[in-house]
Amino acid sequence: MRYLGAFGAFWYDFLIGDRPELFVGSIVVLGVVWTAINMGFNPTAGGGLLTVLILLLAGLSIWSASRRRA
Amino acid sequence: MNLLIAALPAFLASIVEFVEALTIVLAVGVTRQWRSTLIGVAAAVAVLVVLIGVFGSALVLLVPIQTLRLVVGGFLVIYGLQWLVKAILRAAGAKSKHDEAAIYQREIAAMREEPAVPASGMDWISFTVAFKGVLLEGMEVAFIVVTFGASAGQLGPAALGATIAGVLVLFVGVAVHRPLARVPENGLKFMVGLMLTTFGTFWAGEGLGVEWVASDATLLGLFAIFTLASLIAVWAVRRRLHVAPAFGAKRTTKEA
Repeated sequence: MRYLGAFGAFWYDFLIGDRPELFVGSIVVLGVVWTAINMGFNPTAGGGLLTVLILLLAGLSIWSASRRRA
Repeated sequence: MNLLIAALPAFLASIVEFVEALTIVLAVGVTRQWRSTLIGVAAAVAVLVVLIGVFGSALVLLVPIQTLRLVVGGFLVIYGLQWLVKAILRAAGAKSKHDEAAIYQREIAAMREEPAVPASGMDWISFTVAFKGVLLEGMEVAFIVVTFGASAGQLGPAALGATIAGVLVLFVGVAVHRPLARVPENGLKFMVGLMLTTFGTFWAGEGLGVEWVASDATLLGLFAIFTLASLIAVWAVRRRLHVAPAFGAKRTTKEA
């Protein structure tokens, strides 16, 4: 049980750590693009949408962290 | 090209992780017993090799490439953004930099508080601390080797890139016999974060059904976009931190 807990803690720290918004946000971004493409959104424009959403997500995380620091 | 795609990120990420592992190994070896420490290191490396072999082969053989790229791409985006955001904040001065020399001193102090080293035989404290340190840092390397290797179909070159980095760090560490505090860790993390985010976006996009405008050459475009955006972010955060105290002072005056 102790090892399972340690294993879970490792993966939590590895993928979520102190930036949970990046974990949740990335899944939301992928979900949005998947839904858009499956609803007939142009697959070429889907690449642009994915890139812009990832940039927005990173920007939000940086903005929130620097606000705390400031 | 595919060979470089798999080997370079694994090499750069491994240098960062192995430098961190070396700090722990040196602290344990110097303060306690080298023999048990090195056995701990060897045991951790053996576990990592088995993990990479088993998971890497299983992924390549059992998971369809479209699904593999979506899942791996998603993980790489999450993991890459973690590295990149931290590197941007460190470069801008909003987060303290990783200080190997300070970590080394802390590890040495912690080791000195442990019970004395046995007069003969195995020192299990040395073994456990070295094993755990190398395994934890190495797991991140294993993750990158398996994901890049499996997605690019180049597990061997990815593992080779990590091995060369490991040998290089070990060689330099043994030669200088102190933590490698002068390795530009944040610069490397910045670069690795950019690479992981670029490849993650590309592969996740392919898994989602995106048709990239310039096919594989899109990777270069994505890398350029993420690099430019990151440099702008560093500039913006630096500017914000520089301006912020003035806003704070104004608010204090108003409140008073």
